[in-house]
Amino acid sequence: MPVAISVDPPEVSAHLRKTQGYTFLFLSDPKAEVIRRYDLLHPRAGPEDNDISRPAEFLLDSTGTVRWANFTEDFRVRPGGQQLLAAAQSLK
Amino acid sequence: MHPVAMAEATQKRTHWAVWLGLLLTVLGLAGNAVSFARLSSVAFTWLIMAVPVLGAMFLVLGVVPAFRQPQAYRGKLWGSILAALSLLLCAASVLLFVFTRQLPSSRGAPQVGRRVPEFTLPDSSGQPVSLSQLLAGTSGATPPKGVLLVFYRGYW
Repeated sequence: MPVAISVDPPEVSAHLRKTQGYTFLFLSDPKAEVIRRYDLLHPRAGPEDNDISRPAEFLLDSTGTVRWANFTEDFRVRPGGQQLLAAAQSLK
Repeated sequence: MHPVAMAEATQKRTHWAVWLGLLLTVLGLAGNAVSFARLSSVAFTWLIMAVPVLGAMFLVLGVVPAFRQPQAYRGKLWGSILAALSLLLCAASVLLFVFTRQLPSSRGAPQVGRRVPEFTLPDSSGQPVSLSQLLAGTSGATPPKGVLLVFYRGYW
């Protein structure tokens, strides 16, 4: 199950879910505390010169152990559905 | 118009490199614009960085004959303007490429085989959700085989 995390506040995520029709879970980390704990902080990269997350994906098994991780080198490049499915297969 | 001048005028043409350069520049511009859509690959980002560079090269190559052999090639003015614009776009394309790759190294991030740190964050309706809750699943249903955490920049 995908869980999207960013500094966007809940209202912004709620609006995004509604307008894009997403049904998966969105979590808000407005002070980037969890982002920092995961060492994903991208300082001052936001449009208001604020700290945001760098893009990253982690596939966790039921124990919370990372089975697959992806750190893109270019924020325009994200894993596609095929790549994510292939990673998810390894959990079976 | 003098008959010789008329004949010369009809023989004057635009060097083919100008058209190729123009095409590549327009493609490069469009490519860079759409590269922020979800389906960019690493190869694509390299390609659309290089295409405007090639476009600028060909435009310059195609405008030079208009100066060197003005009796045979046209385009001194508008060719020069296009070449200058394409050089600007070429620079912008390279700068954009560098910019979108300036990401922190995140060496301390969770790696394969490690357990991730616990957290509790509000969902889009403001309800706190913890990682252990997500891993355990909702009561009654079978726990999920896994959870995919997708950290993103926000501000979509």
